[in-house]
Amino acid sequence: MTPVRSIAWAKRRIAVHSIASVRKESKLKVGVITFCAVGFWIGFFFLFKEGFQWLLDFGSSVGGAGRGIGNIILVRMLGVLMLAVFVMLTFSNILVAFSTLYRSREVNYLLQAPITFRAFFISRFFECVLFSSWALAYLGSPLMLAYGYTTHASPLFYAASLLFFIPYIALPAGIGSLITLALARIFPRLHLRTMILLAILAVSLLFLYWKNWLSAQRLSEDTILPALLDMTAQTQSPYLPSYWATRGILAGASGNYGEFAFNFLLLTSNALLIVWIAAETAQRIFYLGWSSLEGRERSRMRLFSQHLLGFADTALRGVPNPFRVLIVKDIKLFWRDPVQWSQFVIFFGIMAVYIANLRNASSHYQQEFWRSWIACLNIAACTLILATLTSRFVFPLVSLEGRRFWVLGLAPLSFRQLVWQKFWLSVTTTSLFTVGLAILSGFMLRLEPIYFALSVYSVIITNFGLSGLAVGLGTLYPNFQEDNPARIVSGMGGTLNFLLSVVYITLVVGAQTVILQSRVLGLYTNDWMFYTALVLVLVFITGISVISTLVPMLLGMRNLNHAEF
Amino acid sequence: MILTENLTKRFGGKAAVDCLNLRIPPGEFFCFLGPNGAGKTTTIKMLTGLLHPSEGRAVIGGYDIQQDPVEAKRVIGYVPDSPFLYEKLTGREFMRFVAGLYRLPDSHVMKQGEHLLELFGIRHVGDELIEDYSHGMRQKLSFASCFLHEPKVVVVDEPWVGLDPKNIRFVKDYLREKTREGVTVFMSTHTLSIAEEVADRIGIIHNGRLLHLGSVPEIMAMAQRPGSLEDVFLELTQGDET
Repeated sequence: MTPVRSIAWAKRRIAVHSIASVRKESKLKVGVITFCAVGFWIGFFFLFKEGFQWLLDFGSSVGGAGRGIGNIILVRMLGVLMLAVFVMLTFSNILVAFSTLYRSREVNYLLQAPITFRAFFISRFFECVLFSSWALAYLGSPLMLAYGYTTHASPLFYAASLLFFIPYIALPAGIGSLITLALARIFPRLHLRTMILLAILAVSLLFLYWKNWLSAQRLSEDTILPALLDMTAQTQSPYLPSYWATRGILAGASGNYGEFAFNFLLLTSNALLIVWIAAETAQRIFYLGWSSLEGRERSRMRLFSQHLLGFADTALRGVPNPFRVLIVKDIKLFWRDPVQWSQFVIFFGIMAVYIANLRNASSHYQQEFWRSWIACLNIAACTLILATLTSRFVFPLVSLEGRRFWVLGLAPLSFRQLVWQKFWLSVTTTSLFTVGLAILSGFMLRLEPIYFALSVYSVIITNFGLSGLAVGLGTLYPNFQEDNPARIVSGMGGTLNFLLSVVYITLVVGAQTVILQSRVLGLYTNDWMFYTALVLVLVFITGISVISTLVPMLLGMRNLNHAEF
Repeated sequence: MILTENLTKRFGGKAAVDCLNLRIPPGEFFCFLGPNGAGKTTTIKMLTGLLHPSEGRAVIGGYDIQQDPVEAKRVIGYVPDSPFLYEKLTGREFMRFVAGLYRLPDSHVMKQGEHLLELFGIRHVGDELIEDYSHGMRQKLSFASCFLHEPKVVVVDEPWVGLDPKNIRFVKDYLREKTREGVTVFMSTHTLSIAEEVADRIGIIHNGRLLHLGSVPEIMAMAQRPGSLEDVFLELTQGDET
């Protein structure tokens, strides 16, 4: 057996054993996850189906040329979605490749074996593709099914989509890995100041690009169609892989086998070329980059971070011990983990793009109907960002203490105190970002006072609910064997936490949407009815937030008290 | 079998290993001693190709580890102090995986792999997942997999952690036996009594520099006052520390 095949064989066995070990998990946990996963998949299918149908009808009504215009818009939207997926996969692969190629403990083990760096890269590349693309398979399948259903596509459309899937995920994975290989080779040699300047420059350019691309003109019914077609024209460039995939899939569906084969071979050959270039690049520069990262000078970084961490330490002087030392420890561990940081930076990027786009949204929609919808969607956006923050960064906090329980477990400190410390740390830090985001977005959207107050209150209360869920479930289903937070999150407990967080947000946002839309539709005969409904909704979201906070926290603390280390 | 010429590793401005020159012939049991942070693990990482030297070179079994890494690694067996093992593989699957990395035929795994599992006393748990192994069992599996490809050079980094006295004795005897078969053993350890017992030669490294090199009697003779290797080691490394 060759080394690459041997590693692939081992990974297959690991997957088999991991799936088999699901039997050891709590049946309730597995049941809830399966139910939620299937439920969300079906929900996404209907959401996409309704969205595509709306676009089809909208295009037909605006274009005035029957369903032809609607079909053109649908094809353009498919191109936009494919391009968005491609960009996201490339970014995702840059991050995944960094942890898979450079930061995993397995790397040390594999590198002392007699395998070439090329073989090492190829074996790790498959893992990168898998890690970065499973979500695409989960979300992409209902999307393509919905598209096919709406356009009455032939079965060939689905077959073509499946066929294009592999080269379409391999190409961004190859590009992402190549970028990571280059960054790892260049960055350890750069001074910190140069690195910060480059990062600021890159983020600014990206920000400006998105801002320009997303800023639409003032739209009316007469101009919306040309504007839409103009905005999506960039996705129709024949140099884009998303264009090859879209064209190929649609050609396959319509029985145009020549174009189908041409685009498939074009995409596959480009994917193979990029992967080959990445493997050859790895053979030449991976070891030097990896070795530089292992032996890079940390003193400059340490000096820089000491000022910031020293400030945090001073700012918390009023907090009594042991809470102060626990909080400072958590902040320091987070600050000193570059993988955590890189993902955190992405959140800022998402928030920046979101805020940049809000300015336009408010001025376009004068009607009450749209303004109330935007208010509801804004709450959904803020709370979803919050849920992603708590699922990714808060859920693993208790698990990460696993190997340190020899010191925490013996300290004169109850587990109850430890868990509540994590909770308050989460509420405080996530509130800083999300309440700020809610206030800022409220101002930018020029929300009415009542919508504004509702948005801010919802975000404040969901900070408690989502932090309680994340800390509580992280304590109820901890993984004390794992040191890598990303892997802790991707386990069953982490998945359950995210799914329950989405359910909780759906309830919070759904309740508000119902009363606000009822008001717009004139279902309340007087203001008294509306304010009564509003109070009831506030009581409802406060109630479910208290339940989301206390129930997982109490269950988690009970589990920790019975745990053996 | 192991040759280092001016082997140096700098982290930033600081030299973790400074101009290390060693020549260890086939069949020698070489013990590498030094206080914490002296540069032992950095040296081992350079010998096994896990770190790129800032200067100098390391030659293992005639192959430069930087110029010809694959061939050099083919003759090395490495047991780290806290070995990485795939938790969701069984012990037997792990042996098969290692065999694949070294391109060994399946028949070799069947014969030599089973023999090693038996020898290290873990054959009865060979079909259990590694996540269920005790620390000692993991260490034994790490040793068993290290010898699967019959290496000519064995590099061992503090191997005694987690092993009970019986197994320490077994591993010690096994490594000695291997040196008689011509295998070179390079062992880094803090257990000086074992080093005193098994080593043909000892190297003492401190602050990245090789302070002393010689056989056990030669090292003992360097001390001003006679005593055990522990006394001598403390005396030799104390001066520099202050």
